[in-house]
Amino acid sequence: MDFRPVEAVGLERRFGARRALSGVDLAVGAGEIVGLVGPNGSGKTTLLKILAGLLRPSSGEARVFGHAPFRERARVMERARFAFAPPALYASLTAREHLVHLARMRARGMPRAGGAEIDRALDTVGLAERADDRVSAYSFGMRQRLVLAQALLPMPELIVLDEPTDGLDPLAVLELRGVLRRLREERGLAILLSSHLLLEVDELVDRMLVLAEGAAIFSGPPAELCAGTERVRVAADDPGRALELFRERGLDASLDGRDEVELPAGAINLDDAAALLRAGGVELTGFHTRAASLEQALLARLREAGAR
Amino acid sequence: MTARLETLRLWRSRRPLLAGFALVLFLVLMLIGFYTYAQTKTRGEVEFSYTFENRSYFNGLTFALYAFYFGFLLVLPIFAATEGGAQVAGETSGGTLTLLLSRPVTKARLFFTKLAVAAAYSALAVGVFLALALGVGLVVVGWGELSLYPGVLQMTDVPQHLSQKEALHRFALAWPAASVALCVPLAFSFWISAWSKSAVNAVGTAVALYLVMYVIAEVHFFQELRPWLFTSYMAYWRGFFREDVNWAAVGADGAKLVGFALLFTALSYRRFRLREER
Repeated sequence: MDFRPVEAVGLERRFGARRALSGVDLAVGAGEIVGLVGPNGSGKTTLLKILAGLLRPSSGEARVFGHAPFRERARVMERARFAFAPPALYASLTAREHLVHLARMRARGMPRAGGAEIDRALDTVGLAERADDRVSAYSFGMRQRLVLAQALLPMPELIVLDEPTDGLDPLAVLELRGVLRRLREERGLAILLSSHLLLEVDELVDRMLVLAEGAAIFSGPPAELCAGTERVRVAADDPGRALELFRERGLDASLDGRDEVELPAGAINLDDAAALLRAGGVELTGFHTRAASLEQALLARLREAGAR
Repeated sequence: MTARLETLRLWRSRRPLLAGFALVLFLVLMLIGFYTYAQTKTRGEVEFSYTFENRSYFNGLTFALYAFYFGFLLVLPIFAATEGGAQVAGETSGGTLTLLLSRPVTKARLFFTKLAVAAAYSALAVGVFLALALGVGLVVVGWGELSLYPGVLQMTDVPQHLSQKEALHRFALAWPAASVALCVPLAFSFWISAWSKSAVNAVGTAVALYLVMYVIAEVHFFQELRPWLFTSYMAYWRGFFREDVNWAAVGADGAKLVGFALLFTALSYRRFRLREER
C-alpha cells in the first residue's frame, strides 16, 4: 500500500457537551491535493488542529507521517507545515524578518533556508516588493500570503492550509491555485486545504471530504459528488401548463430557475413527453438530461445531512 | 534561534523603553519624597535637602539603596509579570503561538527560550535600575560612606557602616542576587499566563496576586503564613548591606527563592506542554 502522509480514523472531538467532530476518517496520499469542505462551524478547523497537534482527539487516531500529532508535534512539523486562519503574525516585524526568524526555528539536522530561498518564497507569494515593510502595514490578503510563504520554508512534504483564500481578491485566488498546482507538480507536495467555498477548491483538488456538523457526509473526487444527480429538463412554450400535465401523469416535476420543467432521470423519454404535452395543447421546445452542478449537489447533500 | 526572534520582538514592543521611563519617573518621585519629607520634618527650615532621618548620614548611596529597595519590591515585579503575561498569554491571544507551534521546534525549546529571554530582560532591568539609582544619587546628592540605622524601612536592626568602596561592591553583589529573586514573580507570571488566553487577564492576575502576597508577608498578623510565601524572601539581598554578611542566612533565603522559581517554572511548563490551543 502507498505511504500516506495523513491518516485519521474515527476522529471524534467533544468540547463539553458539543460534538465538534464525529467519527471522521481522512487520508491524504503523497502528492495528492485534498479539499476539506463544509459550512462554517462544520469542524474543519478542529480537524486541522488535531492534525497539527494543537488539539487532542477525544477518540479515534490521527497519524501524520506516522507520528501522533499531539505527542510528537515537532516531528510532524519536520515534514509538514500548517497555516491557520486568520493569519497571525507579529505586527512589528517585516515580512523578511518573519521568514528569517521562522526559518531558523528548525529541528537539528534540518536544512536551513538561506536568503535565496527566502527571496524565492517571497517571490512565490508575490510579496517581494513589500518584503521589508512591517506587517502592521499589510492588508489581510498580504498577511495571508506571508503565512503561506513561511509554510514553504524549508519546503515541506505536506502543506495544510486553513481557509487560504480568505481575504484574497479573485486574481490572488487564481495565483494561489497556480502556486499550489506548481508545488504539487514540481515538488510532489501533498496539500490539504480547507474552505467553506466549494468553488474555490473544486478546480484544484483530487478528492474532497465534506463535513457537516462534525460528520463526514462525502469523501471522494468532486465529480463523484454529482453522480446520480442527473435530471431531465423539458422546455415548453407554456412551462406552467407543462408542469401541471407532468404532475397529472404522477411524475415528480418541478420548475427550475430557467422556466424549465425538471424531472427525475429516466422518468419519461422524449417521445412520451412530446406526446403528453401535445395532447394538453403545449408545444415541447427542448428536452435534455443534465447533472446537477457541484454546488447544487453539495447543497443537496448538506440538506440531506441536516434532515438526518 | 528563537531567542533572536524573542529579543527582536521585545525590543520592537517598546516595553523596555516604557520600563526605563517608569523607572526614571520612580526615581524622580523618590527624590521628591525625600525632599518633602525633610521639609516636613524640619518645618520648612531646610531650603532643599534630601535628608531622610538624619542629614549627617544621608547621601547618594543611601538614596540608591532605599530607591532600589522600594522599586525592587513594588515596581520591578510588575515588569516581570508584564513580561510573563506577554510571552505566553499574549502570544495565545494574538494567535502567534499557533504560528510558532507550526514550526519543527519542541514546546520545551519554545517555553524555555521565552523564559530565558524574559529572565535576561528582568536582570537587565534590575541592573539598569540600580545603575540609574546610583547615578542619580551621585549627581544629585553625592556619594559617601553608606551608613544605615534601624528605622521605618527595616533595612537593618543595628547600625551598619560601609566604606564607599565596600558599599559599591555590595551593590554589585545585590544585582545578581536581586535578579535571581525577580525570577520568582517572573516564573509565577508565566504560570498564570500558561492558564490564560488573555495577556491583560494574565498580567492583572499575576500583579494582583503578587501584591496580595507581598502585603501578607509584610503584615505581622500573618506571621504563620510568611515562610510559605516567596514574597517573604524577595528582599534577601538586603543581607549584603550588613558589615558582616551572614552568608548562611542569605544563601538559605536565596535557595528558597530558587526553589520557588523552579517550582513555578515546572508548573508553568507542565501546563504549557499539556494545554491545547483551541
